[in-house]
Amino acid sequence: MFTPGSKYFLGLTGLALVSAVLYTFLVNPSDLGAYALFGLFLNAAVVAGFSFFTRDGDADTVEEAIAANTEASAPSFWPIVFALGGALVLLGLATNEVVFVIGLGVFAGGAIEWAIQNWADRASADSSFNSFVRHRAVGALDYPGLAAVALGVIAYLFSRIMLTVSKEQAPIIFIIAAAIVLTVGVLIGSKPEMRGKTSLIVVAGVLVLAIAGVSSGISGERHELAVVSEENPYAVANRECGAEASAHYDHIANNKVPLKSAVLATIFVKEGKISAQMVGLKKDVDTITIPRSNATSILFRNLDKEEHRLVANLGEVKVGSTDVMEKVGTCTQLTGKDQEQVLTVSIPKPSFANGPYSLTVPGIDGEIKVVVP
Amino acid sequence: MSHTPQPQTTENAMDTVSHVKNSRRRIAATLAGVAGTIALAGCAQNAPQDTWVPKGDNAQKIDTLQKIVFPIAGIVGVLVLALAAYIFIKFRDKGQAIPAQSHGKPTVEIILTIVPALILTVVGVFTFRTIMDLAKTEDTQMVINVTGQQWWWEYDYPVQTEQGISQPIITSGQLVLPVGTNVLLRETSRDVIHSYWIPALNGKKDAVPGRIHLLRLQADKPGIYAGQCTEFCGLSHANMRMEAIALSKEDFAKWVANQQKAYTSPAEGTKAKEGETVFINQCSRCHQVNGLKDANGKAIISAPDENVYAGAAPNLSHLMSRNTFAGAMFDLVNQKCRDDVWNASSDAFGAKYLTGVTTDCLNEKNLRAWLRNAPAMKPMYSDPTKLAKTGGKYRGMPNLGLSEDDIDKVVAYLSTLK
Ligand code: HEC
Ligand SMILES: [Cu+2]
Repeated sequence: MFTPGSKYFLGLTGLALVSAVLYTFLVNPSDLGAYALFGLFLNAAVVAGFSFFTRDGDADTVEEAIAANTEASAPSFWPIVFALGGALVLLGLATNEVVFVIGLGVFAGGAIEWAIQNWADRASADSSFNSFVRHRAVGALDYPGLAAVALGVIAYLFSRIMLTVSKEQAPIIFIIAAAIVLTVGVLIGSKPEMRGKTSLIVVAGVLVLAIAGVSSGISGERHELAVVSEENPYAVANRECGAEASAHYDHIANNKVPLKSAVLATIFVKEGKISAQMVGLKKDVDTITIPRSNATSILFRNLDKEEHRLVANLGEVKVGSTDVMEKVGTCTQLTGKDQEQVLTVSIPKPSFANGPYSLTVPGIDGEIKVVVP
Repeated sequence: MSHTPQPQTTENAMDTVSHVKNSRRRIAATLAGVAGTIALAGCAQNAPQDTWVPKGDNAQKIDTLQKIVFPIAGIVGVLVLALAAYIFIKFRDKGQAIPAQSHGKPTVEIILTIVPALILTVVGVFTFRTIMDLAKTEDTQMVINVTGQQWWWEYDYPVQTEQGISQPIITSGQLVLPVGTNVLLRETSRDVIHSYWIPALNGKKDAVPGRIHLLRLQADKPGIYAGQCTEFCGLSHANMRMEAIALSKEDFAKWVANQQKAYTSPAEGTKAKEGETVFINQCSRCHQVNGLKDANGKAIISAPDENVYAGAAPNLSHLMSRNTFAGAMFDLVNQKCRDDVWNASSDAFGAKYLTGVTTDCLNEKNLRAWLRNAPAMKPMYSDPTKLAKTGGKYRGMPNLGLSEDDIDKVVAYLSTLK
């Protein structure tokens, strides 16, 4: 039998399908519109399927529905947990990633538990049966969930220890720890009288791990790791803009650019030549105009085999109060074949004041002029 | 708590009846008033931002769509409301017994699903086609960068030799474009989200910091097309307007030539020359005038990035070539000259606009008021003691405390910036 919810979404599915087909044939098969309508069709179909199979989370027949609803729902604290999760998510967005992630967890957990409880409360007219199905459903989620959290905590604490001790000590500690776990496991397995003490042993083990983990976390990572994580490859001082690879700057290049709608122009290197296109104009230009004092992104796409980088030459400034002039500029990291990087510049002075400005690629002749009005 | 029912006398009951009648009458009167106002508002004569009067290709596309969708939506809306009203009245509680309850009626439900679905299909197909048409950029002939900031728009014209633009042009408030040309705006923002909307030429498009959004504009005939920022952007959002000025191709070329004209310093000994000095001391830290030089012949480069939160202030090199200022909010020309331009026929319009602000036309009252105390004319965050949040930078133009004498000089100077 079709429930009201599934009827609605089936209707939407049909509507979207018809629109998509009409659109494809009458308007344009390959633009975004067709994708959007087919996407709507798929989404609506999935939701229709869900609400059909879950009977809108409702009972099968009217009689059943009435019977199921004669028992009031049990009081539940999940809505509060759910709301708390939402609040943490928002708070996390404003403050700190960790709070955000915890919030997501609480939010999802609260939502799932709440949904299951609500569903179980209406499973039948018998509240003890309802609580039984609830536990069965929740148990299937709770135990693996808790186990995952516990494993995560253990792995995290252990990793703190491993990051603190030296490279030589780490394998030994690992071997000893593994041996202890194995021995204890074998003992518990073979000596039935020890089984009663399992939880005691586990608690003791966790305690030891926690103390060791926290103290190593506080004492910090071992020297060489600390140095690596302190070095910022993007720091201006590390930004070496020559043709050859830079030991620091070219360290962790990403070479993939999302959000291409945010770039003003794209600079290409192809067959040893540099060329430029401005967004919205389908032709090569030799000058690009960048608004003054506004962070503006330029995409660099290398189509050649050799690695290249894009350099922005933004005039010169006096060093301190001396008369020595120093070049101002920035550059992308080395970019491999068919890869891309983005360069974001904010230029506070017009090009007639401090220019000329240009974009160049070391090792390649030619330049793209940059004008700032 | 206990509640003793009041014995109701006949008098009391009569009172209630007349009270009900009165309040009904009052509601009816209010409704009539509201309906009347709406109807009258619909008849406004001078409504430059009317969304039903397209003046270019893109707006025409929207208009064609809305001429299909609006009647459909209107008829459906009226039908549904009438049906609802009928049901409310017919089945209102008159103390009758509750009728037998049934659970669904497949035929009715199927009809009620299919009919709206068909209507929505038709509307959907047309809507999607229009959206996609309006997103095309292949046919662009000219691009203009549009940057929003609190609370004015900056336009800069990238170098485009085929449009006669060999030097970049920068202006504010009034967007000048050639007629019959597919212009593509590349919108962005320097502070918060704004939205660009010239109803006669196209729909709206948000200007978002860090992103570049494209908006097509094309005007059929020369004229002024008004618009306003349509994304709430803070204190003076309501005062953030803009105008698109369409000029014939020849007139546009003249405008471009004028914008690229070099700076001429006022003659020695004139009031305007004294004004230039005041300008250099008081204004040039925010406002750029291209070509302006100090006494030693060194070019003066403004530093709005150090003084204004958005990092920009309007470039005043050719202030008098536009006829409104401060976010197209105030007239730079007096009422007579303004009417003359706004009401000009499309043939005569270009010449009138290109005349710029002549001495006869200058709206000195507005300009003086602005220089005397800008935040009094347009609310801005310009109290120097309350700039901690923005690191000492203004949002808007502060009150500079100029003397009337200085104002005289500055006005004389600004009048030369043609
Ligand atoms: C602290 C920076 C600052 C200083 C100093 C300053 N202004 Fe402004 N001015 C602005 C800003 C910002 C705007 C844009 C305000 C708006 O429209 O909301 C503006 C707008 C204007 C406008 C309107 C321009 C247009 O195209 O809309 C004029 C004219 C003007 N200022 C003249 C002056 C003069 C003359 C002086 C010197 C006496 C001066 N300003 C000093 C920041 C400044
Ligand atoms: Cu705005």
